Amino acid sequence: MAANSFFGRDVISVRDLDRRGLEDVFGAAERVMAMPAAERREVARGRTLGYLFYEPSTRTRLSFQAAMASLGGSSLGISDVASSSASKGESLADTVRTLSIYADALVLRHPLDGSSRFAAEVSGKPVINGGSGTEEHPTQAVQDLFTMRREKGRIDGLTVGIIGDLKYGRTVYSLLRALGNYDVKVHLASPESLRIRSDSVYDIRKRLDFTESEQMDDRVGELDVLYVTRIQKERFPDEEEYIRVKGSYVVGLDVLRRMKKGAIILHPLPRLDEISPELDGTEQARYFRQAEYGMHVRAALLALILREEGV
Amino acid sequence: MRESELIVRRISEGTVIDHIDEGMGLRVLGALGIDGGDGGLTTVALNVPSGKFKKKDIIKIEDRFLADDDTNKLAVIAPRATVNIIRNYKLAEKRRVSLPNEIERIFRCSNPDCITNSGREHIESVMDVIDREVLALKCRYCGRILDVSGIGRAPAAAG
Ligand SMILES: Nc1ncnc2c1ncn2[C@@H]1O[C@H](COP(=O)(O)OP(=O)(O)OP(=O)(O)O)[C@@H](O)[C@H]1O
Ligand SMILES: [Mg+2]
Ligand SMILES: [Zn+2]
Repeated sequence: MAANSFFGRDVISVRDLDRRGLEDVFGAAERVMAMPAAERREVARGRTLGYLFYEPSTRTRLSFQAAMASLGGSSLGISDVASSSASKGESLADTVRTLSIYADALVLRHPLDGSSRFAAEVSGKPVINGGSGTEEHPTQAVQDLFTMRREKGRIDGLTVGIIGDLKYGRTVYSLLRALGNYDVKVHLASPESLRIRSDSVYDIRKRLDFTESEQMDDRVGELDVLYVTRIQKERFPDEEEYIRVKGSYVVGLDVLRRMKKGAIILHPLPRLDEISPELDGTEQARYFRQAEYGMHVRAALLALILREEGV
Repeated sequence: MRESELIVRRISEGTVIDHIDEGMGLRVLGALGIDGGDGGLTTVALNVPSGKFKKKDIIKIEDRFLADDDTNKLAVIAPRATVNIIRNYKLAEKRRVSLPNEIERIFRCSNPDCITNSGREHIESVMDVIDREVLALKCRYCGRILDVSGIGRAPAAAG
């Protein structure tokens, strides 16, 4: 096997992952998934993952911890910053330096843009961005693409529809950047006030063919993948506007019936009302499988970062 | 001797930054981190007549020889500046400033949610120059594009 380019490296932005890098992670994820549990537990035996979450998270943190455990390693860290010295005003830099003494790799979630890059500069150990500011969530994007590849058999040639809050959802920016490495068609639909920020997709535009509109209705039949994101209530000036907008981005059985055969529905989760629970048992609903792949993809990434020989 | 040369006295050793766009002299000092704190003698001349209708700022720093690394960051705020190294009262070297690939400190990131604006961290802004023609800079941390074309020009002067 060729040299493992992830060894000892930070994963800060999806911009640092080209097609080759993405394929390396997908390959490692396939191998990790195929391993017998006992073999998998040897991959990172005795190694420690440090996590530092300045914002709430369920899946990202749990999937990292589960991933590390599945490789035979352990995790320690801070998931509630109010209980740490950061609440006394300790800087991010000092907190990261400290955690990097006790752990072999770090995962950080922080509300400010660029926080992970800064953390990587001060950390003595590799840093993985677990979500920073409004624009970056690289491991989610890797998970999303891996899910498409597994569930649709390929990424090239797919038509992907993305609906919901495109402005504030950091998963969307990372997903679009990652999709820019493939030959895909993308249709975006969101309320006017939640359109994607044009200055943030300035460089994506050159590499990715996408359309924007307020409705997905007339495109639903073309999609191979419908990617649904959450509309956050806090983003609206008043409740009425929220209720008005929210209703038009709910995916129910009516939408599902208009989808083409073999099409799938993804969601980064958590979900509120935007996907009706009656869809959960359908063949198209793949969002819980997506969450499961998230764990394997993160295990693959950890294995590559921690082991020179890769996996 | 020309009028502009009489404004500040001759120096024996040091650096003269000439042809700074009018009004940018103090920013040049800031960018170079010169605040008089090191005790060295620095003279600043603002609005020095230059040519028929134009003005410029000049800075003379005694006993310090600025290197390219220091002066190239001036390319954005004073693109026409010349850097003159003076040794034994004579002009020993004359350089133009040229745009570096990255610029530290001078520009604040325009993104209020950028880690460089957090106030709590010990961090300096770093901008990568991504387009030399239109002078587009990109924050090394958050990726925000900063359009600074125009910043280096003096306020539109007559003539
Ligand atoms: N010994 C000195 N002490 C102080 N300033 C000096 C000294 N020698 C030259 N300078 C200044 O350095 C700058 C460059 O000097 P130079 O003799 O090259 O002038 P110039 O021919 O007008 O150059 P330019 O074409 O760059 O304007 C001028 O501003 C000049 O006043
Ligand atoms: Mg002259
Ligand atoms: Zn920034």
